Amino acid sequence: MTSEQKRTLALYYCQNVPASGERERQDLEEKYGRGIRLFTVPCSGRLEPIHLLLALEEFADVVFIITCPEGVCRYSEGNKRAKKRVEKTRAIIASIGLEVERIGMIIGSKENPISLADHARAAMERTLKLPPSPVHN
Amino acid sequence: MITGEQKPIDEIREMIAPYKRILVLGCASCVAECAAGGEKETAMLASTLRMAAKMKGEDVLIEEKTLDRQCVRDFVILLDDIIEKYDAVLSLGCGAGVQAVAEMFTEVPIIPAINTEFLGETRDQGYWVESCLGCGDCMLHHFGGICPVARCSKQLLNGPCGGSMDGRCEINPDVKCAWHLIVDRLTKFGALDRLENIYPPKDWSRKQGGGPRKIVREDQQK
Ligand code: SF4
Ligand code: SF4
Repeated sequence: MTSEQKRTLALYYCQNVPASGERERQDLEEKYGRGIRLFTVPCSGRLEPIHLLLALEEFADVVFIITCPEGVCRYSEGNKRAKKRVEKTRAIIASIGLEVERIGMIIGSKENPISLADHARAAMERTLKLPPSPVHN
Repeated sequence: MITGEQKPIDEIREMIAPYKRILVLGCASCVAECAAGGEKETAMLASTLRMAAKMKGEDVLIEEKTLDRQCVRDFVILLDDIIEKYDAVLSLGCGAGVQAVAEMFTEVPIIPAINTEFLGETRDQGYWVESCLGCGDCMLHHFGGICPVARCSKQLLNGPCGGSMDGRCEINPDVKCAWHLIVDRLTKFGALDRLENIYPPKDWSRKQGGGPRKIVREDQQK
């Protein structure tokens, strides 16, 4: 078992993230196995705190959201909304003593677009810096 | 609509601490509109409480359900089939909802998860303001549809105090002066002369002078 597999990362990503098609998704699932659960969303603004909370409650050690860059959201405000919801959810988990770092957010860059695989690597690195979640242990 | 805000999680955890099987009960009406106790917020609170319990190694059952209206008996009765499973209900209804459940199910402790705040309106997304005190004798027609009872910080009925400045109330520049709004609006209607009237002190007996109020309508009864 690789060190990645000792944690589970729930990765929600906007469908406009570069190189995030079905094939790339399968590659990631193969690479990280049970260490990653991928959820594509039509727009990160559709994500609600309950999605993040349920992932943390049910299986995830860490949850990450990857949005399209600010200013290029196809639904105009989606990524801004996602940011506020992440903040709200962080406040909720902090209130029960769970580290706020268990909810991460990466806002894509317009000038320097990054593929889903690279985002996943960065998110996984940050996931591994945290101990397993006390919710599941 | 009745507005409310969720209590701090520590306070909620303390209130439910003696119980092992808890139903988190939302209401899909007013408290859903003000994002305090609707289906979403109920699911969030239940999930948060389950996580907190797991982190502390507590062996508790926490489930959730949302009624269309927690303050109407026809909906509260829907708990009849399931309530026996729980030894406490944590309600996200307003104070009226909590009490409606308590009154129908006298064997089960009902705990409030939200602080009921005020009668108000949704001014914008995520922004609610108080607009009525339920005084029992509405005077809005005198004041251009703006309530000095609820919206003037001093509940003045005969014009502004001396503190109104640039349309703002002296208690806080974030608060619009109700009397400034009233004068603007009546001016627009050419009805400023209405303010020549002297309005006597409000008769508060119509609010709670006779204890808790009730409305009985025979035409609405079975
Ligand atoms: S006058 Fe009374 S009933 Fe009318 S809006 Fe004001 S507080 Fe409410
Ligand atoms: S400034 Fe206006 S709203 Fe505030 S107390 Fe005076 S009259 Fe009422």
